[in-house]
Amino acid sequence: MSNAILESGAAMADGTPRRGVEQLSMQQALNLALDEVLAANPKALVFGEDCGRLGGVFRVTDGLQAKYGTGRVFDTPLAESGILGMSVGLAMAGFHSIPEVQFDGFAYPAINQIVCQIARMNYRSRGTMPMPITLRVPSFGGIRAPEHHGESLEALFAHVPGLKVVSPSNPHEAYHLLKYAAERPDPVVFMEPKSRYWQKGEVDFDSADPAGSPAGGSPAGAKVMRAGRHLTLVAWGAMVARCLQVAELAAEDGIDIEVLDLRWLKPIDEAALAASVRKTRRAVVVHEAPLTSGLGAEVAQLITQACFDTLKAPVERVTGFDVPYPSGDLEDEYIPNIDRILFGIQRVLEYKRG
Amino acid sequence: MAEITFPLPDLGEGLIEATVLEWLVSPGDQVERNQPLVEVETTKSAVELPSPQAGKVVRIHGGPGDKINVGEPLIVFEVPDNTAGIVGTVPKEEAPKRRVRLSAVLDED
Repeated sequence: MSNAILESGAAMADGTPRRGVEQLSMQQALNLALDEVLAANPKALVFGEDCGRLGGVFRVTDGLQAKYGTGRVFDTPLAESGILGMSVGLAMAGFHSIPEVQFDGFAYPAINQIVCQIARMNYRSRGTMPMPITLRVPSFGGIRAPEHHGESLEALFAHVPGLKVVSPSNPHEAYHLLKYAAERPDPVVFMEPKSRYWQKGEVDFDSADPAGSPAGGSPAGAKVMRAGRHLTLVAWGAMVARCLQVAELAAEDGIDIEVLDLRWLKPIDEAALAASVRKTRRAVVVHEAPLTSGLGAEVAQLITQACFDTLKAPVERVTGFDVPYPSGDLEDEYIPNIDRILFGIQRVLEYKRG
Repeated sequence: MAEITFPLPDLGEGLIEATVLEWLVSPGDQVERNQPLVEVETTKSAVELPSPQAGKVVRIHGGPGDKINVGEPLIVFEVPDNTAGIVGTVPKEEAPKRRVRLSAVLDED
């Protein structure tokens, strides 16, 4: 297996982080972030199914085993409970594990390790056993894959006290959020939008947040991806790119839409939500996950709590359906598409108070 | 570029081999997922095998009349490095299409 990805986007040979701006795919941006984390932290380990010799089924760990050796970047058996269980032991021994669960739907066999051990070991031990674990999960749908390869588990993980949950929406976010997550002392579930792995975008290595946002230049909160006056679209992961397309189309109709990339799904940046919707007075939240008890309900409540007096309409949700994630042929019907999002916007725009 | 080998799958319940009848693709061909690759005959029936993935055909194993054991290489594809090994299909970037138009009276109160 060649190292095409690594060659086109590698950290400097001595591990010095890159400077300047480059066009990279999300695969390359994540690969580069992992490379820099491994170079900077000798206690960092990368492992999972096919992560070593193959370089990951999505090429995200490509070339890392050759560079850091089989002791730090390695393949595991097909046993997610073992991958995450091992991460617990490694954390106790002072390592920072960056395990990969190859696909979202493979996280289920490791729920016991994630919920009962990783999320609460620090609490259980009165702060003597922190769990610095960055769990990478290729997530969400959009690649015509079979069952268990297209699930949206953010609400499941966000519900568990002790876990942080984050999802990048583009290569720039992927690079900075993964580096940031891997420097935290806490367990972070890092949900990579697999349908966006191949799209290229500008990565500014010097600044996590050159545009300026409510997060104040830190990768810690939400981020305004497009400013607007009439309505806020709240999204994360792959839905951010789609909402940006919708905002462009809405502009043709004279509707000026703000797109807020939530980024962190636990904890949610309530201040950024409030700041945006106080300005626009209308909000639609978009996610791929099923509707019922999805994170959209939480977002809608946080907005309502902060902006009830000024909201012009109830917060709308445009989501997947309450069914198991469908097979590839039905994917386009399941994932919120441009027209469904536009309909949601229209419902908010035409709402009249009784 | 990376090479992906597709071994002959078990085409029935516990079949151990199949006989190549006719190849429908040649080395150098670019094939799509589900495109018919080869017609083979087992002790149960003759079937066309659809391609498990998109890619360029590098090698095919066995000519008409040759027996291939289940699990042995049948065909080798060449795919770009950034898609090697994925389960699914790389999504195509398409220009956004719409049918819904927005209309609103936006009082700026």
